[in-house]
Amino acid sequence: MSLISSIIPSLNRSPAAPAQETERNLGPTLKPTYELNETSDGFALTVYLPGVDHAGLDIQVDAENLTVIGRRVWKQPEGWTSLYRESEDATYELVLSHDNIVDLDKVQAELRDGVLRVALAKTEAVKPRKITVS
Amino acid sequence: MRLVRYTYPNTRSLAPFARSPWAGLESEIDRLFQSTLGDFASTSATRRVPVDLYEDKDNTYVRAELPGVNRADINIELVDGYLNIAANRKIKTGEREDTVSLTRSVSVPDAAVQADKISAGYENGILTVTLPKREEAKPRKVTVAVK
Repeated sequence: MSLISSIIPSLNRSPAAPAQETERNLGPTLKPTYELNETSDGFALTVYLPGVDHAGLDIQVDAENLTVIGRRVWKQPEGWTSLYRESEDATYELVLSHDNIVDLDKVQAELRDGVLRVALAKTEAVKPRKITVS
Repeated sequence: MRLVRYTYPNTRSLAPFARSPWAGLESEIDRLFQSTLGDFASTSATRRVPVDLYEDKDNTYVRAELPGVNRADINIELVDGYLNIAANRKIKTGEREDTVSLTRSVSVPDAAVQADKISAGYENGILTVTLPKREEAKPRKVTVAVK
């Protein structure tokens, strides 16, 4: 069976959405605008999360992915009528796979005025090394 | 969606004769969906400022998403029936500093707003402008006596 599924990988595909997404039960999510810049020792990730404060932000790093979840804190007060909407109330969710080139112990994050900046350090193995010629 | 793309070798890539006849089509369809739907729900390009309008009994509210802007760099004007919101986002990358200017105009009927009492607040990257209604524009209840 494993031989057949290795020849036809589509047999391994699940017809439904991945189970882990339904577990967290976020409802419909929105992919935020983000920028990713690479430097020689790491990556600088900037995620625009307007309306999210420290309490609503959740960053998880596991063996495969870096997941950023941002919940909006503002709720429409009683008595306010919405006339016109362009933004959405959905929770922000950004999943980036890092392929273990990031040092997971050295992840630093800062949230200010709705912008999240994450500094991801590269692991020693992928940093550029100079080789001296003897 | 990946920092670095690497395809692990599998039976399919190592043995070309065992390649599924649908493999090319399959990945092409995946790529098409990814490119069209991948950014479908994203909050649009950085320069656009999404705006929400609300009202209650006394005020009209304009809420604009302006993440990453200093309060001093936000400029709000009411000119000829338009509320103009202009902001500069300064992005520092190392030594270089880039400025992105964001602008948005919202039509506001002059007659309905007390222009001298407009106030604004900025929190978590969202700008809220409060436009107090004029007395004449507020909903009135008129009781008419029937003879």
